[in-house]
Amino acid sequence: MNYKTECANGTTTVELGGRFTFGDHSSFRKLIEEIRTHGSSTYVLDVAAVEFIDSAGLGMLLLARDEGEKTNTTVIIRGAQGQVKRMLEVARFDTLFKLEN
Amino acid sequence: MTAGRESRMNPSIAVAQSLALDDVDAFIASGAIWEMPENRSVRYTFGQTPEDFSHSNHFSACLVPPDASREWLGALTRLNCDVFVECSREIDLADIAPLIKQQGGNKNTLSICLSTRSAYYLPVARKFVTALRHRELIGEKIAPTVEMAVQEAFANSLVHGNLELDTSGHLSMDSFTELGEETKRRLASGKHGGRAILLTARKRKNGHIVISINDQGNGFTPPADSCPTNVAGRKTTFGRGLPLIRSLCHAVNFSRDGRSIELEFDQEGTEFPSSSTPTNARLTSQPVHETDVDIRNPQNAIILIADDTLLSREIIASYLRAEGFTNLAFAKDGEDAIAQVRKHNPDLIILDIIMPKLDGYGVCKALRANPDFAETPIIAQTALEENEGRTRIFDDGATDLILKPLNKAELIARTRIHLENRLLVKQLQAYQERTRSELTLARDMQENLNPAPENYRGTGLDYGLRISATFQMSSELGGDMWGLVPIDEHRLGVYIVDFAGHGLGAALNTFRLHSLIWSDQLRDREPGDYLENLNRHLKGLLPVGQYATMLYGVIDRVRGKFTYASAACTSPILGNSLTGQARYLDGSGVPLGVIRDARYETREVSFTAASFLLLYSDALIETTLDDGQFLSEDKLLTMLRETIIENRKEIDLAAQIADQFMDRAPAKLSDDFTIVSLQSTPIPCAI
Repeated sequence: MNYKTECANGTTTVELGGRFTFGDHSSFRKLIEEIRTHGSSTYVLDVAAVEFIDSAGLGMLLLARDEGEKTNTTVIIRGAQGQVKRMLEVARFDTLFKLEN
Repeated sequence: MTAGRESRMNPSIAVAQSLALDDVDAFIASGAIWEMPENRSVRYTFGQTPEDFSHSNHFSACLVPPDASREWLGALTRLNCDVFVECSREIDLADIAPLIKQQGGNKNTLSICLSTRSAYYLPVARKFVTALRHRELIGEKIAPTVEMAVQEAFANSLVHGNLELDTSGHLSMDSFTELGEETKRRLASGKHGGRAILLTARKRKNGHIVISINDQGNGFTPPADSCPTNVAGRKTTFGRGLPLIRSLCHAVNFSRDGRSIELEFDQEGTEFPSSSTPTNARLTSQPVHETDVDIRNPQNAIILIADDTLLSREIIASYLRAEGFTNLAFAKDGEDAIAQVRKHNPDLIILDIIMPKLDGYGVCKALRANPDFAETPIIAQTALEENEGRTRIFDDGATDLILKPLNKAELIARTRIHLENRLLVKQLQAYQERTRSELTLARDMQENLNPAPENYRGTGLDYGLRISATFQMSSELGGDMWGLVPIDEHRLGVYIVDFAGHGLGAALNTFRLHSLIWSDQLRDREPGDYLENLNRHLKGLLPVGQYATMLYGVIDRVRGKFTYASAACTSPILGNSLTGQARYLDGSGVPLGVIRDARYETREVSFTAASFLLLYSDALIETTLDDGQFLSEDKLLTMLRETIIENRKEIDLAAQIADQFMDRAPAKLSDDFTIVSLQSTPIPCAI
């Protein structure tokens, strides 16, 4: 998994790419540490370029949500495609996150 | 002793060159892969990368180095071998060794055994499934489902099995961080990180594929009835794996006290569970198929009569029986019709439109959505005279329409005509089957036009170049070809050709051009001149309307230049092997064989000690990938850059790009796929 972050007008946008799976522990942790410092009111996780996500990847998205809740930050998942979209549907992430196209 | 075992008596093993010979000997002597009969010796073939092994040799096993990187995973797809084992003194195969032996030597199997440390950061599930597709052990349709299930099961066996990590319940960010640190510590330790994990697949006679994942942890067998398929839920951070696996597989079993998990898939594929049930879900639920009955005589055909009234069914049956059609099946409503179609695979369906449970429109739609029944003729019978109903039933996929009340002569005439059509189609398919074996011969000949790995590797070294190439022929014969032309001590010519179209015509043209290239004594000319000359010859040989695209270029190591001319070839890519930055070169020019006096411009760019060049056929950028799109120009450059940066050492660029392409492209390509990379090696060439 690779990512790029951008912070503007109180919104942190994270563009994730590649495969997001159980081995991505440390890059995900770095990502959380990085966006913590932004103090944004909204996190947008743009997953359009994520090719594949497994259940551990879903778990890490939940951690991002917990992280947001601590600081009253809204977490939005944007642009899920193909397999990622189906995984989010199956795990009913629409009930946990704001999902955007 | 069975034939399969005898073939293993003189084993030939593909060995990674970076392995110490002592380790290899010790590993073989341990008998981990097979018991060595006396007076037999193992033959080792060494290779720096998987590309160095010839595809025409079959290897009993491939020994992968402990720092197994992505390139060795690519071997799963490309090497003619079914057993891959990481060779390391640290791994104790112990109870896993018999499982490898059990699998080995069988054509319909694939096994890979790695240390936890190697497996953890590699996309093992993805590469394994790509290999299964290319080896035709699984179909394209179920591949995404298999990949997800294997990914989850493999992660479970690594994380919970071999690493003995507990990730249950809801984690906080702090415990997640701690988990990450603990993972690193255990991966580094011999006890956990050095444990082996074995992934195997075998195809059963009934077509089912069985994938087993075996670890060396403490073992865990979950209770069979605990919340089998509920993937949703917020109480757990990482606990979705097992429910997901259960929802994706035909069957899940545990053995070796929970240290082995076995996933079984039927080739129809379990649909990915979705919140909205697709209309044809009932079609994919049960894999019942009778073998096709040969219908050389239309009267042997199986005809399904679907009608909700018994009387109607009997009337139609009596008409058909009177004409000698006795192989009849019946359905009493729409859902029954679909079940009967699955059971009998009929040659013709006579379908009533207004029926309980599911009407004729629904039946048509559901059948047409399934590739197995997309071509089955359907005659819809209806009392509806209005146009709307007629138009709709055709839209939904009916082949023909017959009005109620039925006229016997008309029913029989229509039945005959549709059965005869079906018969012709089936005969045509059988004919194609026969010619296929002859085509295989032609394919082998065509493949031999391309240089063999041992040749292009060696030639490359002479010029201080690391050359890598991957070629995959389309499902039909194609028209791709590439080659190297040594000119003198410091100049190496390279060409890549793609004839328009495919099939026998295109293949024959590649033979024509190949002999032209190798009979031409004027290779020392400028590339532009060379193509002009070649074009004149080719124009005389080729029938009107046939043409080729080609690039011919010369790498000059002394001047540090790449000089080339292009006849409408795909734009070559020139890049930097250290930074991964790359750009497209101008590939424009008239295709060969179109006009007699075509002019070709000779272009020149600098090619230094840090340069690489990538040539490819259009299949790379014109194949629909799993995201429904072609590989765009930008994405290809990004892929190159990331591949170079991620590896941080010398790699076979073309092979790595091909691996990533094959992960995402259908196993059977509709066009030839060729990719060639020429990379400057850091050692200055000896001139």
